[in-house]
Amino acid sequence: MKEYLDRLPAFVDVINSVRETILTNIILVGQIPAPTFKEKRRTGVFLERLADAQVDECTTDGYRNPIGIIRGTNDAAPPIFVVAHMDTFTEADVDHNFTIKKNSITGAGILDNAVGLGVLVSLPEILRRLEIRCESDIVLAGVIQSIGKGNLRGIRHLLKTWQAPIRGAVCVEGVEIGRLNYYSDGMIRGEIDCNIPAGKGWDQGFRPNAILILNEVVNQILTLRMPQRPRSRVIFGKISGGFKHGIIAYDAKLGFEIQSDSYKMVKSIYSDIKDIVDGISHEYEVELKLRTISNVNASRLKFNHPLVKSATEVMKKLDIKPVSAHSESELSIFLSRKIPALTLGITRGRNYHLENSSMEIEPMAKGIAQVIGVIMAIDSGVCDDERLA
Amino acid sequence: MNDWLEQNTFHYSDFKDLNRLVQEKNRKGLCISLCLPTLNEEKTIAKEIVIMKSELMTRYPLLDEIVVIDSGSTDRTREIARAYGADVYQAADILPDMTPCRGKGENLWKALYITHGDIIVYLDADIRNIHHRFVYALVGPLILHDHIKYAKAFYDRPIATGKNKIRPTGGGRVTELVIRPLFSLFFPELTQILQPLSGEYAGYREIFDQIPFPIGYGVETSMILDICERWGLDVIAQVDLEKRVHRNQDTRALGKMSFVILQTFINRIRNRGLLELNQDLFNEMIQYNLVRNEYQSDVFKIDGYERPPMREVQAYREKFNL
Repeated sequence: MKEYLDRLPAFVDVINSVRETILTNIILVGQIPAPTFKEKRRTGVFLERLADAQVDECTTDGYRNPIGIIRGTNDAAPPIFVVAHMDTFTEADVDHNFTIKKNSITGAGILDNAVGLGVLVSLPEILRRLEIRCESDIVLAGVIQSIGKGNLRGIRHLLKTWQAPIRGAVCVEGVEIGRLNYYSDGMIRGEIDCNIPAGKGWDQGFRPNAILILNEVVNQILTLRMPQRPRSRVIFGKISGGFKHGIIAYDAKLGFEIQSDSYKMVKSIYSDIKDIVDGISHEYEVELKLRTISNVNASRLKFNHPLVKSATEVMKKLDIKPVSAHSESELSIFLSRKIPALTLGITRGRNYHLENSSMEIEPMAKGIAQVIGVIMAIDSGVCDDERLA
Repeated sequence: MNDWLEQNTFHYSDFKDLNRLVQEKNRKGLCISLCLPTLNEEKTIAKEIVIMKSELMTRYPLLDEIVVIDSGSTDRTREIARAYGADVYQAADILPDMTPCRGKGENLWKALYITHGDIIVYLDADIRNIHHRFVYALVGPLILHDHIKYAKAFYDRPIATGKNKIRPTGGGRVTELVIRPLFSLFFPELTQILQPLSGEYAGYREIFDQIPFPIGYGVETSMILDICERWGLDVIAQVDLEKRVHRNQDTRALGKMSFVILQTFINRIRNRGLLELNQDLFNEMIQYNLVRNEYQSDVFKIDGYERPPMREVQAYREKFNL
């Protein structure tokens, strides 16, 4: 039944034999800047590499997500999706040229998510070398407008417009090898903008300070009672504002995320934050705006879901220690549509979101073998009988 | 004069059909070598090797070997190049009976002895945005056009300015301030070669082994002058490779480079009787530094030594049965 498990350790050597091709794909795709909403050039290169890898079909969907399809042997079997997001946190004017050393590659956006994309476009060649032909079609999708304000638009559109059932999915991220994400918290990501209208003449020195206003907002949010169950929290992730050291700040911005096992609780906390924002805006007579940037529903596979169990077995066979955690990414959208899915990491890295982020080359082959093992598990039918609760 | 520019100028996309290049290469029974001359290039060498191996050896068998000729790097250049599968040599170990010299030209010249290719591609090892087009686009004209024997790259040259930012224009200062004025004065037809100093070119062995190689920076200038004199401009092609990101050099370094190029150029036009000088040229480039309120000279001595055509070296003649 699970004979593919025994083949996995041997996969690592075969994958290492095409190491140059995988690294080349990571470099050639990853070196094209692709900040969210500006992924067009990277999409072109991604498609070019897929076409070069001789996938059976190569196209974009109506939202310009690039897609390659490796045809399976059974027309009746629903497809398996393998996805990685195309966009990066880094801006286009940052140098995206990577540096390769003996066992590492360094460069902006390498981990998030040049590695994932490079692996995706290398899969056709790797599967050929491994002589693996799946029953299901394998749909290799680079999804655009995923992170931040992109709000997972690419994957949402892809799944909304995909007519046929989907057998299962693997979301590929650069790091960390061993991550086993099978559930997503409910999440709302928001921004609070504080703008103080410019005064005239001596008025300037007596205006409210936008930074202090936001400080008051933070203090009041911190007084909110967060329940232990459903587990909930508010993360303050970004703050900016002001003009120079000696001038009262006339604008400030706060970025936060509400996370909870329950989306109902997320919405309730969001509503509390809205009340706080409205109250302070009224009391201090300042303009405070609360905006939702993105949101996802809480959804999950059970730990004993056959896909999760199979992935754990695959990892153990490859001496990878599985670490369970939540992920609010493409995974959320698959799970919310009742499609069994996981997020897996390919290698180890450091300086995740910095311009000098760096990936280790050596663990990569195991990371890829693990993805192929999970694809084979889905192809063997582990998702076929089980549906989400 | 513009005929050459029109007929012998290509864009890399003209040679994008790699299957066709491989077919033609096989039909003509050609062997192609890539040579990367290095000196402390640990940051960029691996990427060049990885991409060329993947794209032009594994996927499309256009290249037959990748050879790194190193001038004695003190960083991990040789170790890294070896780890990624290139054949790595120290220049000093090649033809050890000859007096060793140090410089890029020396490495290129010795590559003729070490490599096996009928066509040899030379690439600088400091290209940060390396892509396999840097090789296939230079090899393309040589394989597909029988009259072309030497192909040279030109491109936009953004410069990496540090702090991970790219400045979109610039570069080519020595070309515009030194070489182009000289070509305009003495060989106007050569001004059509848009970037005569580019470090990326390919050519047939039968061309390279019949010309002398200055051991340092003058090699690109001498190559164009010598090839053009012996075989004419028509055997030369130039290919637009679009962008090339490289390390920026400061003005003092470019000053030294210009000195060597001027030295090479003047020696050649003097030998051809185009210029008479009443004295020999000095061989020292003198620059000044202000150190604790005193000007101190910084003297850079260059003898302008050149290696003879490789075909004149006995060991080479024996190796290649000439």
